Amino acid sequence: MIKILIVDDEKPICDLIDLNLSSAGYHCVTVQDGLKAIEMIEQEAFDLILLDIMLPGADGYDVMEYIRPLDIPVIFITAKHEVKDRVKGLKLGADDYLVKPFDVVELVARVEAVLRRYNKTEQRLTAGDVVVDLEARRVVKAGKPVVLTNKEFGLLVLFIRNKNVALFRETLYEKVWEEEYYGDSRTLDLHVQRLRKKLGWENNLVAVYKVGYRLEES
Amino acid sequence: MKFSLKILLWTMTVMALALGFSGFYFVNFVFETSLSREVGQAKDESSILGFAFETAALSVPAKYSVLPDNTVEEIAANLEKGGQSAGRLLRISDEEKNALYVSDGFEMDEALLMRTEEDTKAYRIIRSDDHYYVHTGTAVNALNRILYLENLKDVSEVFTERAIGFSLYRRVTLIMLCAGLFVMYFISSMLTKPVRLLTEATKRMAAGDYAYRAKEISQDELGELTRDFNSMAGALEQNIEKLREEIDAKEEFMGAFAHELKTPLTAIIGYADMLRSHRLDEEKSILSANYIYTEGKRLETMSLRLLDIIIAGKEDAQLQTVSVEPVFDYLKEMFCARHEIEFHYTYEQCRIEAEVSLIKTVLVNLIDNACKASEDNGRVEVSGCAVDSGYRFAVRDYGIGIPQAELHKITKAFYMVDKSRARSKNGAGLGLALCVQILNIHHSELHIESEAGKGSCFSFVLTKSEVRDES
Repeated sequence: MIKILIVDDEKPICDLIDLNLSSAGYHCVTVQDGLKAIEMIEQEAFDLILLDIMLPGADGYDVMEYIRPLDIPVIFITAKHEVKDRVKGLKLGADDYLVKPFDVVELVARVEAVLRRYNKTEQRLTAGDVVVDLEARRVVKAGKPVVLTNKEFGLLVLFIRNKNVALFRETLYEKVWEEEYYGDSRTLDLHVQRLRKKLGWENNLVAVYKVGYRLEES
Repeated sequence: MKFSLKILLWTMTVMALALGFSGFYFVNFVFETSLSREVGQAKDESSILGFAFETAALSVPAKYSVLPDNTVEEIAANLEKGGQSAGRLLRISDEEKNALYVSDGFEMDEALLMRTEEDTKAYRIIRSDDHYYVHTGTAVNALNRILYLENLKDVSEVFTERAIGFSLYRRVTLIMLCAGLFVMYFISSMLTKPVRLLTEATKRMAAGDYAYRAKEISQDELGELTRDFNSMAGALEQNIEKLREEIDAKEEFMGAFAHELKTPLTAIIGYADMLRSHRLDEEKSILSANYIYTEGKRLETMSLRLLDIIIAGKEDAQLQTVSVEPVFDYLKEMFCARHEIEFHYTYEQCRIEAEVSLIKTVLVNLIDNACKASEDNGRVEVSGCAVDSGYRFAVRDYGIGIPQAELHKITKAFYMVDKSRARSKNGAGLGLALCVQILNIHHSELHIESEAGKGSCFSFVLTKSEVRDES
């Protein structure tokens, strides 16, 4: 199981990230102090570190110095939106950054992306009898390959990664189409219907009233 | 056109005119004097010649009752010969004004002769073949005859001298003008140097170099202008610096504010998103809702404090004369058995000049901070005593204290010595900023003594009322 260290001086934020990443299937450890974070990094092995910059004890940049030789991927979490702060973080060896306030879906996506870059993530996603090979972009259901369009594939990956989570229409649209959502859901609904039909998920992929869709899996 | 060039041109024009007129007048004066001397000499000579002629006529033999023409010629020839070395030229005419004797080279018209009468003498200055002559005419009465004797005196020299004088003077004037031009060029550029320096300074300042000053090189009006300009620039620079500092402070404040705003917002948005998207179990739902509530409260505290600061900054406090007793009573009532912290109040009776509600806010904030800094069962001392400069309020705690290096930062908005600790006690990091603002209105400031680990003492002094409280 992938182990993630969350360093943020705000307990609510730590808990928030913890809850979300745990539900996405990661094991999380939280710490609110820079010095304690350094201690933990030296004692335990982590696959990814989410690091706030403003920390008591030692700030995020100082902690970064300790992490660098260990070659652990780092995502900075910062309330500073100035370019120079971001550049400083990236120059120190951070793999990505997240500006507060952030979307939970975005947090999960960025964590996935960084882990994938380090080949630490599972390249195969499964949901019931559906297996998705992310690298080959191949979908197999009960041993039989299923042909999906790009958008359908994107939707499927998003649903499997957020199992049992109600995904809002705008979130789905913005992540898959990478465009702003203007309330026209016909395109999205159409794609979801085709996906249901192709995978035989009429009962699994349920519409949530006034929200969007949720992939249910017992 | 450049100012220095203008000065130069005008000076040169005036100089040229002055030199020209004075030179012309002077040379001409010398000329007139010489000429009139020459004319005088010519007249004298004419008289002498007339007299000589008459004398010679006396020696004519008595057989002639009338002077014969040939004798006239003879006498004239003698007279001419006598003045040969001086280049004497004569003409003698008879009563009918017909020439009897003419010297070689005497080639004059008869205008003067016609004007000469028996009892008059006449002269004129005449030019002939580049020579100037004084032409004199006089009547000679000799041996029953009236003869007219004309004489020419060469005065070309006087005219030549005048011409030489003029040309010499022109050359001298030209040289003087050239030298003057040279000298004036330096003088005018020296005189206008302050103006040029000032222009340079103006340009540099306009380009944003506010620290640049014009060099002061003279003590005259221009020097005064430069000094005034510099002092104006100094005042401007100070103002700009002040504005810049204010902008910096504001930007810093906005940055800190945005940061402080984002953390609770992230939590609120994140938990709300979780509540709407996930099917959370009851425990997690309550946890999320609670976080939304507490973070919302934090935003509320922050916005209220900010409002206080803004209002305190704008308010023109009405300072009143009040007794300190009710203030301490209020504090005693407010902080009696809270937080398991011991409160000690010691104060002297006095009347002070203050806006009571604002001063209460300051003290409440300071005591609040003291409580936050103290451990449980800690001790907070609140005291008031009269000192020379007024009445001193002090709040002392024996808590975590403030590191020396951070002392100057603590009155800044959103600063917290120990962030997680302040958060857990619902601090927004705005209390001291508000205190400083309020004390500003009272023309007072906050004094802080602190040592990390040993505690801090916050104090301020207010004006005592003039009227002594007797009780």
